[in-house]
Amino acid sequence: MREDLKKYSDFLQKIRTFFDNQSVLEVQTSALLNTPATDVYIDSLSMKLNQGIDLEQTRYLHTSPELEMKKLLANGSGDIYQICEVFRDNEQGSQNFNEFTMLEYYRLGFDIHQLMDDMVQLLKTLGIEGRVSKLSYAQAFFEYGDIDILNTDFAALKVIARTHSLSTDFEWIEDLQILLFTHLIEPKLKDLPLCFVYDYPAAQSALAIVEGKVSHRFELYINGVEVANGYDELRHANEYQIVFEQEIAKRRMLKKYTLDLNKGYLEAIQSSLPQCAGVAIGMVRLFSEINLK
Amino acid sequence: MANYSTSQFKNGLKLMLDGNPCSIISNEIRKPGKGQASNKVKLRDLITGKTLEKTFKSGESVEGADVMELDMQYLYNDGSEWNFMDPDTFEQYLINDDAMDDVRGYLVEQDMCVVTLWNDNPISVTPPNHVMLEVVDTDPGLKGDTAGTGGKPATMNTGVVVQVPLFISIGEKVKVDTRTNEYAGRS
Repeated sequence: MREDLKKYSDFLQKIRTFFDNQSVLEVQTSALLNTPATDVYIDSLSMKLNQGIDLEQTRYLHTSPELEMKKLLANGSGDIYQICEVFRDNEQGSQNFNEFTMLEYYRLGFDIHQLMDDMVQLLKTLGIEGRVSKLSYAQAFFEYGDIDILNTDFAALKVIARTHSLSTDFEWIEDLQILLFTHLIEPKLKDLPLCFVYDYPAAQSALAIVEGKVSHRFELYINGVEVANGYDELRHANEYQIVFEQEIAKRRMLKKYTLDLNKGYLEAIQSSLPQCAGVAIGMVRLFSEINLK
Repeated sequence: MANYSTSQFKNGLKLMLDGNPCSIISNEIRKPGKGQASNKVKLRDLITGKTLEKTFKSGESVEGADVMELDMQYLYNDGSEWNFMDPDTFEQYLINDDAMDDVRGYLVEQDMCVVTLWNDNPISVTPPNHVMLEVVDTDPGLKGDTAGTGGKPATMNTGVVVQVPLFISIGEKVKVDTRTNEYAGRS
C-alpha cells in the first residue's frame, strides 16, 4: 500500500521539479464554478448549495481548470501549471471516470510543436521514453485509413463509415470524423510508443487557433491510449464568445442542459491572453504507462 | 418489439440488424476526450451463425428482436421436418430440415435441446453438450489396444463421423461432445 503511494508521490514530485526548473508556477484555481462547461460532449456535475439557509444557488464542478487558468494568463500570470481533480458527468467506458486527476499547463510564446517537444522532455524525466512519432491528423488518416479527411465531405464520410459498419447517425461532420478516427485510426496507434497527432480539422477546433482547413491542436497517444490534448490557444474574448455560442447552440439541439454565455469569463479576459500553448494531461493514464514498465 | 438504447446493451441482448435477429457477444464503450461516446458491439447473427461487428453512437436506439430460448424435447424427424415438444405446454414445433445442418448429427430422440424461437418460429437448435451415439461403421481396431493411442474415424447412427480410439467397435455406444465433435468416453 505505502509503496504504491510512494510511487505516485515520487511521480508528482518529479513533475513539480520539472516545472520548477523552468520557472513554471504552480497555481490552484477554483473547482466550484458559477457556469458549467459549454463543450458539446462534456457535461458538468451540478449541485444546489446553501439550501439549508434559504440561499439556494446552483454551482458546477469544473470539468477542467482551463478557463480559470486562462483568466490568470490574461492577467499577467506568465507560465503556469496545475494538478487537480476534475469532474465530469455522464462519462462511460472502461477508461473514463466521473472524477480524475488532470495536469494542465500553459507556456507563453510556445506553439504546439514547441509544447510537444517540451512534453517529450517531461515524459523523459518521468521515465517514459521511446520512439516519438509525429503525424498530422491528415497524414494519420492517409496512412492508416486511406482517407483524405480534410477534403472529404459529410456525405462521402457517411458512405465510408457505412462500409466499416460504423454509425452514420450524426448531425455534424466533426462527430463522424471523431468516430472514424476512434475506430479506424486509433487501433493502429497501439504500436507507436509515443505518438503526437496534430492539426485537427477546423470543425474540431474547440478553443484552438484555426488556420485554413486545420486547427492547431494536438493529442498525445501513448501505446494507443489518448493521454493529452493541447492547443495553440485562442487569445481574444470575441473568439471565445463565438465558440461558446456555437457550443451552446449545439447542446441545445441535442437537448442537453444549457446556460447563458459565460460573461464573467469573457470580461475577465478582456485584455486578451498572451500568445501561448497549453495542454491537459490525464494523470492516471500517464502514471499507468509508467507502472507498466 | 421494444427498442433498446445503447445504455441498455449487455451480453445476450437480442437485436434486429439488417433484418436478422442477432445476439450481443460483447459491447465496448469508447469516449474520446472531446468527442461523443460510441459503442463497438460484437454480435452473432442467429440465422446465419456469423459473427459481425457494428459501431453505434452512444444513445442511439436499436429495435429489439423477439427471440426466446426454450428447453424442448426432440421427438422425431419425418425426412423433411424435425419435431420438438415444449414439455411444459406439450406444444409441438416443426423445424425445417435445412435449418438443421450443423446439429442433425447430434440429435437423439427424447433428448432435451435448446430451441431458439424468433417471432415464435424456431430458427436454431442447440443439442446437449454431450450425447450418446451408437457406432454403425468403423474399421476393426487392433486387439488388445486399450490405451486409446491414435484413433480412427467412426460413423455414428446419426450420420456424424467422430474420431474414436482404436478399441471401439461397431455396435458400441460412445459419448460425443457436440461442441467439438470429439469422443468423450464410453457408456
